[in-house]
Amino acid sequence: MKKIVPLITLLVMFLSLSIFADDHEHDENHDNDDHHYYKKKHKKKNRGYINYQSGNNANSNEGKLYQKECSACHFTYQPELLPKRSWKAIMNGLEKHFDADASLEEKEKNDILKYLLENAGDAKYISYKYFRKINKSIYSDQTPIRISEISYFIRKHRKIPKKFIVQDEVKSLSHCQKCHITADKGNYSEHSVKIPNYGRWDD
Amino acid sequence: MKKIFILLCLIITGTAFSLSSEVSDYLSLLKSEAEKENPGFSGFSAERGNKIFISSHVNDKGKKVSCTTCHGNDLSKTGKDFRTGKIIKPLAPSANSKRLTNVRDIKKWLKRNFKDVYMREGSATEKGDVLTYLLNK
Repeated sequence: MKKIVPLITLLVMFLSLSIFADDHEHDENHDNDDHHYYKKKHKKKNRGYINYQSGNNANSNEGKLYQKECSACHFTYQPELLPKRSWKAIMNGLEKHFDADASLEEKEKNDILKYLLENAGDAKYISYKYFRKINKSIYSDQTPIRISEISYFIRKHRKIPKKFIVQDEVKSLSHCQKCHITADKGNYSEHSVKIPNYGRWDD
Repeated sequence: MKKIFILLCLIITGTAFSLSSEVSDYLSLLKSEAEKENPGFSGFSAERGNKIFISSHVNDKGKKVSCTTCHGNDLSKTGKDFRTGKIIKPLAPSANSKRLTNVRDIKKWLKRNFKDVYMREGSATEKGDVLTYLLNK
């Protein structure tokens, strides 16, 4: 009898684990169904809006590494926001990354750069109009290091009073997600703009 | 039954020890480097680490900074990056058990933050001193 008790315990544990695994699988399938349904239903309305988190290869090891390492300090800008030459310049200058040392080990740096180059604004056709327009406005002899120095970006933000930008809740135009509340999903639509201490912004 | 229980206990404590051994291995590596730097080296000091952590230096932007500028004076509380406004989780392992458990992260941030505050990389002695100071927090 004494020997049977641990055996039964182990068996129960094993069974409950496998049931849990099944549940998990089922949930994932369900999510996919939902996703297709959503895509179908909102196809027209979204007009090229990409769900960055589930789109392209953001879930690859390199994509996840980019999220992990870069979000340790700041918002993870979508790779589509800058051309390949900009990402190269940024990743090759991490020892002096704006005001900070953001150096990485060579392997990690190269993995992240690979992901950025594969998804850069000039690496592929981009269906999302804001990403396309931002890249179109960059001259071929320019290598912008800041997204906020790109002419399309400047044009789209020029009417915003300075007081909303410098306020503590925002601080700088480089903090996309402070006003674009769906920026983390790659959605910069005007409808999802909410400026702290002001509210919705209609251009 | 008793044997299984003892075995389980051994496995659990074993994994717990292997986690901290990663960090103690790194400390011994720093120690051997520190001995090479200074033949009179007699072990890391949390007191020296504290001084390194709180003393201010003028960075290349002309701003006076110290480790506490972002991490705060109370390491059991959250800090804030003065450049980006990003919230930094508590540095004290007593308040944040995940802290200082991953040697890759420790190396990465020691290198970066020495350069941010001191404009140079830390020596093995300095790194060991700071790490010893922080591990005791």
